Amino acid sequence: MIIDRIVDVESGEYAVALVNVPNTLAVFDTHFPRFPVLPGVLLLDGMGAVARLVARQPLRRQQSIHGARFRHYVRPGDQIRITVHATEVAADAFACRAVAEVTGRKVATVRRLRFELEELR
Amino acid sequence: MRFHLIDRIEEWEPEKFIVAHKLTSRAEDYWPAEKPVMPPGLVLETVCQAATWLLMLGSDFRKRAALLSVDAAVYTADVVPGDVLDVEASITSITGEAAVIDGTVLVGGATVLTASGIMCALLDAGTLEDPEETRRMARELCGTEEG
Repeated sequence: MIIDRIVDVESGEYAVALVNVPNTLAVFDTHFPRFPVLPGVLLLDGMGAVARLVARQPLRRQQSIHGARFRHYVRPGDQIRITVHATEVAADAFACRAVAEVTGRKVATVRRLRFELEELR
Repeated sequence: MRFHLIDRIEEWEPEKFIVAHKLTSRAEDYWPAEKPVMPPGLVLETVCQAATWLLMLGSDFRKRAALLSVDAAVYTADVVPGDVLDVEASITSITGEAAVIDGTVLVGGATVLTASGIMCALLDAGTLEDPEETRRMARELCGTEEG
């Protein structure tokens, strides 16, 4: 999932970004032909992309996702607002919590996304 | 991208488990330009889609899974172009309305993802896709005429 607009970034603290969901996305051909809905896992990858804006160091591998909840469908024509807050900034890892909203309504939340940090040389 | 992340179904037992494969290819369009590693959400989706095939096959294509929540997904290695994903999903509990699934993804015998507590709502499959099309695809994935 690709971020369309960065709304706000406070490095090491939080970031807010927008992702547009137009009807032209090819994923809707197959998910699903009779009821197009954005796959929930793409929201998780969108949250990961926003997490990379928050972290002060480059993030390497995503280590884990804990406590993901999908509350409402995201449909073609929706604009998703993703907010990520840092919860752990260590020498070797970065963790955050994340919320995805559409018109002020939470569509997905993740309690913890954790990443390994790129080794700085 | 076509959101079909299972290429073969090897083995399944209704309401128990499924073993499936996903082939990755450089020709697919989900690899990030800056670093060609399969997005972690898509690796998790292979487990979800294996589970939804298990639920569809076991319900004669009447039911299909929609993701509600994931307790934990732990990634232990990157998936890179050309990897073949061996996907296993097992149902830990099931009612008429929901199922809970655990799963693993391996590449070359090494675990790349362990997922637990994937809760799915069971939806009427016909509201999402033509059941005949789903049956046709199931026959292809299983390599059988019966599906």
